[in-house]
Amino acid sequence: MLLNFDSLGSWRWVLTIIVVMVAAFLLLPIVFIAALSFGSSQWLIFPPPGWTTKWYHDLFADPSWLKAAWTSLRIAVAVSFLSVLIGLVASFGLVRGSFPGRAFLRGLFITPMILPVVVLAVAIYAFFLRIGLNGTVAGFVIAHLVVALPFSILALTTALEEFDRSIEDAAVLCGASPFEAKLRITLPSISHGLFAAAIFSFLTSWDEVVLAIFMASPTLQTLPVKIWSTLRQDLTPVIAAASTLLICLTIILMLIAAAVKKGLKK
Amino acid sequence: MTHPFLEIRGIRKEYAMIPAVRDVSLNIRKGEFMTFLGPSGSGKSTTLFILAGFQDPTAGDILLEGKSLLSTPSQHRNIGMVFQRYTLFPHLTVAENIAFPLKVRRWPKARIEAKVAEMLRLVRLEGFETRKPATMSGGQQQRVALARALAYDPPVLLMDEPLSALDKRLREEIQVEIRRIHQQTGVTILYVTHDQEEALRMSDRIAVFSKGVIDQVGTGEELYANPATRFVAGFIGDSDFIDCELRGAAGGKAKVALKDGLEIGGIPLHGEGKPGARVALMLRPERTRIDPAGASGGAIPAVVTDITFLGSNVHVATETETGAPVSVRLPFGHPSISALARGQKVGLGFDPAEAHVFS
Amino acid sequence: MALLTLSRSSVGLPGRNLLLTLPALLLVVFFFLLPVAILLSRSVTEPTLGLHNYVELLGSPTYLKIFYNTFLVSSLVTIISLLIGFPVAWALAIMPRGLSSVVFAILLLSMWTNLLARTYAWMVLLQRTGVINKTLMGLGIIDQPLQLVNNLVGVTIGMTYIMVPFIVIPLHGVIRKIDPAILQAAALCGASRWQALRMVLIPLARPGIFSGALMVFVMSLGYFVTPALLGGTANMMLAELIAQFVQSLLNWGMGGAAALVLLSVTMALYILQVRLFGAKG
Repeated sequence: MLLNFDSLGSWRWVLTIIVVMVAAFLLLPIVFIAALSFGSSQWLIFPPPGWTTKWYHDLFADPSWLKAAWTSLRIAVAVSFLSVLIGLVASFGLVRGSFPGRAFLRGLFITPMILPVVVLAVAIYAFFLRIGLNGTVAGFVIAHLVVALPFSILALTTALEEFDRSIEDAAVLCGASPFEAKLRITLPSISHGLFAAAIFSFLTSWDEVVLAIFMASPTLQTLPVKIWSTLRQDLTPVIAAASTLLICLTIILMLIAAAVKKGLKK
Repeated sequence: MTHPFLEIRGIRKEYAMIPAVRDVSLNIRKGEFMTFLGPSGSGKSTTLFILAGFQDPTAGDILLEGKSLLSTPSQHRNIGMVFQRYTLFPHLTVAENIAFPLKVRRWPKARIEAKVAEMLRLVRLEGFETRKPATMSGGQQQRVALARALAYDPPVLLMDEPLSALDKRLREEIQVEIRRIHQQTGVTILYVTHDQEEALRMSDRIAVFSKGVIDQVGTGEELYANPATRFVAGFIGDSDFIDCELRGAAGGKAKVALKDGLEIGGIPLHGEGKPGARVALMLRPERTRIDPAGASGGAIPAVVTDITFLGSNVHVATETETGAPVSVRLPFGHPSISALARGQKVGLGFDPAEAHVFS
Repeated sequence: MALLTLSRSSVGLPGRNLLLTLPALLLVVFFFLLPVAILLSRSVTEPTLGLHNYVELLGSPTYLKIFYNTFLVSSLVTIISLLIGFPVAWALAIMPRGLSSVVFAILLLSMWTNLLARTYAWMVLLQRTGVINKTLMGLGIIDQPLQLVNNLVGVTIGMTYIMVPFIVIPLHGVIRKIDPAILQAAALCGASRWQALRMVLIPLARPGIFSGALMVFVMSLGYFVTPALLGGTANMMLAELIAQFVQSLLNWGMGGAAALVLLSVTMALYILQVRLFGAKG
């Protein structure tokens, strides 16, 4: 009876109230930031005394914000491309192979995900100091790739394991070369996994703060680093404007993901 | 006794305006083994769930010893139930499962232990106390579920197709167990199944459900010998139906004409019918006679389409000249069998008093 | 290239498949294992060979306070997230579909929104002149604004906000797999709602509760951004300490030692999780 919403009696209302309150708690900061980004108060007074788009003008007037966003975008695109490619190849090896130590290797590839990022950030920072990769795009891409790859490997090994290999074998029996069979049959069949791997890798890099803080140089910083360093100085509403744009991006990505999921079901 | 032990009074249940149970009324005697038999979607399980308190009826009432149960929530109805799926608590041992209802009733520990031991003896699972449900077979799990449902001596035990997940042999074994436990405890059992054989084997009385109503209530013999509707006739035992025309009805007996003009009278008629109406003549394969020499003297002419050996008996499929399939079951070794071959013209005969006509 | 290798013959040669994992393996070895190993080794080699970094780290009250803060906040965040996450996961598993998918969308939106944007929002909400203080004062609950940021209260609120979805989503999966008929059976056995909750539903959800809690606790231990922004310098946590050793103090020995402590606790808890619940999750 506890697992039937209609026969919960008075508990139904208690649960509903808790859910509504938690949903409000989760939504509160997001809505609040969006509202404040249009508020006229420099000191983020709420409710705002008036409405303005001044902070968005300030944001776009400052070339360092746009530059940081551009840097982030380039790095994130490179990371998702490499992450999907390396992840796909490795997943084929892990799922199709029968070599000893396969389970160990799989565990190893996932480890960067569960490790505290700060440890990795400090370690990579020290390592890059020696080989001169700090403050370079290549350095950012490599560091972000380390934390993004586990997501790709998880998504793609799962997708490959769910894919019935005999379909690929059937294509080969139909006369396709093994490579052609993979390209035309297997890859389209695991497209949801590829999509998930790309999205997760992109977001991992795009939102990554800790590694980036350590590696950034005055001339090369990502968007999160720009927000971080601005935040450390003061709570200017310009950050509210930047955050609101990031929230919009999240919503767009969620809608795309939902549409893709729906499209795949059809 | 002024009122029946358990009374189901005019129960109706609608889901989004669509009735699952239309109008079910039934009196159940104390200690009775009552089976709800019907195909899926006939309303038998819904009626049981209403008894359990998982669903509220749209209309009607349930009375136990004259008192309405509807306002009592499930946990206070003091009713036992064994479910179709295995519903033992997977995190508890067998003994803890059986003790669960006693624990929530705050029985003293010693009394719980004694009762658990007694229930394990009842279902013949002594020695399984510390086993977890996942380590047991489906049949054993359902026996523990039975012990758990009976541990608090409920006046009524509900069983919702408890054996449907088991294979045939195990099912028959546990059917015998349930019969024994019923006799030993005297508990009133309401048993839901879609399996007519199971219903016949176990029940004191059977209520046949169809499309949200009870078509007929009676002992297995009554339902078999005297089905009230065409549905009951088709559901209890094997039967064949031949379309024919009603020629006349008097004193509950019908006279019908087959398509080829053959007239047969003195058949029990169920339902209303004016002469000229289309009716169905029902025959039981095991009561139908077959004459290898062909139709003569009022027999129905037919052609043998198939002969199947089924162990203790032989199934002869025939088709009448009007195209109605009629089967005949002959005991193994019956002298007619050797005289039959596929494609042979035969005559079918039956005792009108044992056949039925449904309007 | 690797795919082309595969195209010639993929059957019968296990070495080919091993080769496919090589790019990933090189990345993990050179840019993960090696740097971490170097960092950890520096904890026993700098400034001189020996365990003095660990002696200092585990012997000084300043650092012990930081360990205490870290465990305190992580425990509080875990407990609060569980307390609000369990009813939500439960409700989501049984609520009408339309309603639950709305709540799910909110969960995902909050989870996917940039971490700094979320933390910034809490910095603004919790400040002395922020909405929460103003609302509480307006309602007459308090006279003076509460100190909600630059202390562990702020860190706990901000991190709970981040962690709730990590409890709800896996726990929802566990609860949804429980057969509702088992709870019906409990009710017919005479169990009240509380008894059914305590004796059946919570025990059946326990694997999800444990693994979710362990995951949140482990994540909280090593969290850097939110404590750094909401906690202020006086209430440091372990991850900030590591960063500070390296960035401000350039003390690689101590930084490596603190990293090893964090790493060991994390790995130990993770192994515990795998032992208890298998590798999934």
